[in-house]
Amino acid sequence: MSIPIVQVQNLSRRYRDVTALDGVNLSLEQDKIYGLLGRNGAGKTTLMSILTAQGFASSGDVQVFGEHPYENEKVLSRICFIRESQKYPDDFKPVHAFKAAALFYKNWDEAMALTLAEEFQLPMKRRIKKLSRGQLSAVGVIIGLASRAELTFFDEPYLGLDAVARQLFYDRLLTDYAQFPRTIVLSSHLIDEVANLLEHVIIIDKGRILIDDDAENIRGSAINVAGTGARAESFAAGRTIVHRENVGALVSLTIEGTLSPAERREAQELGLEVSPVSLQQFVIRKTLDAGAPLERASTGAAPVKTAGTPTRTGARR
Amino acid sequence: MSAIVNATYPTLNRNAGHRAMGVARMQLINKWTFLGIPAVIIAGAFLFSAVIWALIPDSVEVKYSGAGQAVMWYFFGLGIQSLTLSFPFSQGLSVSRRNFFLGTVGLFTVLAAAVSALYVVLGIIEKATNGWGLQGQMFAIEWVAEKSWFIQWFFYFVLMMFLFLLGFWAATVYKRWQTTGVLVMTLSAAVLLVGAVALITLQDWWPAVGTWIVALTPLTLGALAFVLVLVLGVAAYLTLRRATP
Repeated sequence: MSIPIVQVQNLSRRYRDVTALDGVNLSLEQDKIYGLLGRNGAGKTTLMSILTAQGFASSGDVQVFGEHPYENEKVLSRICFIRESQKYPDDFKPVHAFKAAALFYKNWDEAMALTLAEEFQLPMKRRIKKLSRGQLSAVGVIIGLASRAELTFFDEPYLGLDAVARQLFYDRLLTDYAQFPRTIVLSSHLIDEVANLLEHVIIIDKGRILIDDDAENIRGSAINVAGTGARAESFAAGRTIVHRENVGALVSLTIEGTLSPAERREAQELGLEVSPVSLQQFVIRKTLDAGAPLERASTGAAPVKTAGTPTRTGARR
Repeated sequence: MSAIVNATYPTLNRNAGHRAMGVARMQLINKWTFLGIPAVIIAGAFLFSAVIWALIPDSVEVKYSGAGQAVMWYFFGLGIQSLTLSFPFSQGLSVSRRNFFLGTVGLFTVLAAAVSALYVVLGIIEKATNGWGLQGQMFAIEWVAEKSWFIQWFFYFVLMMFLFLLGFWAATVYKRWQTTGVLVMTLSAAVLLVGAVALITLQDWWPAVGTWIVALTPLTLGALAFVLVLVLGVAAYLTLRRATP
């Protein structure tokens, strides 16, 4: 049933002294929402550029809709990728950009674009280069949504958008996706922000794919256990500890796998606090783990107590 | 694998030519860049010249104005602009580089053909009205205007194409290799030029070159420029093929 529409084999991209992509293997299926997650400079934009033939690979193979996308209108006409730093003609206003998009996307929904522009309070007659960061993001988001391309990429779409606009984007995306299923790739470094939308998660770090799995599997793949040092340690003995955090006598451990009901009871009797790991925490643990073994936790995460609740630290940077 | 994908997906079979046309229409969304500003430049240059002609005493036989070339220099800038501003955006809309090139250069070819025709017609009117009644000379440049209308048209057309493509190619080189690329390009051009001059001097070819220049007609010069236009066009296309937004 699942049809791969994107297939990437051993893809690498090297610049003079940087390896932006390093032996990436990947396949995207039809009608799914993907999260392409990773830190800034992890290779997200490079990967999307090559998939859309805006950029070039150093080695490896890319197939989109069964063919190489480069100079291939048959493939390209089904793709939309407005990058985060998208450039627009100097004298263009949003209204011009939408007119141009309508020329190239056969499923372009003008009514939707206009409604979205109103909802995002986008000044249609102001020059794009004079728009604020959030309004600029809105232009890209609207083109991405209204183009209804079979393969649509959103590159850090929330930059500069306020909380209301972000929620609006997520809502509209889901509604429209339900009505017109297509393959959507959301690139993001703010993970919890988009976590609820994602069906499949691809985590990329330093040009390598760390994780490529269903969001559900990832959510169930680790758990937080917090409590006094010795008790928590003995409870976790024999398990893979992904991350460890000490606050005074307390320790918070992120361990791989799930707990059986019996183990949960045991943890309770030991006075340990068990909480789920949010996608964002999981990614941070994994990427830190892959890089230098830093003992320091993520930037904003308050120690132990709140670590388990799926925090929405989206707006903070 | 590809057979499965293609069978499952109803392919658009969108004619690629439509998308080149789409690029041309995209370049025209803002009417000013390709149409408005050239019109203002031609009209403005003419009006300014007319005022100056009126101020010069009629005892002068012919009042020459070089303002006719103003729009041609704008076309050089337009070549730069139509690449730098629109190419990254067209990439965002998933237009192939080929269709971007065909649409943009195709649109300008039509524009250059039209402006050249306008120049020929204005030149004819100018001669018929004794220089707009002011003894002015702006469109009917002597060396060119004495030839047949087709040679006049061809001469203007090739000149405009040359300037546009020069700008377009330079901008593409910049897009692909940034400052280094443009620097290498201009330095190579300078080296070639100086080399040619040195060769001519050393070989004592100057008299021959002089005769050749004097013998040039709008047609031979136009034909020469036409070859350059073709070279520039191919070079611009090949450079664009691997350019990234």
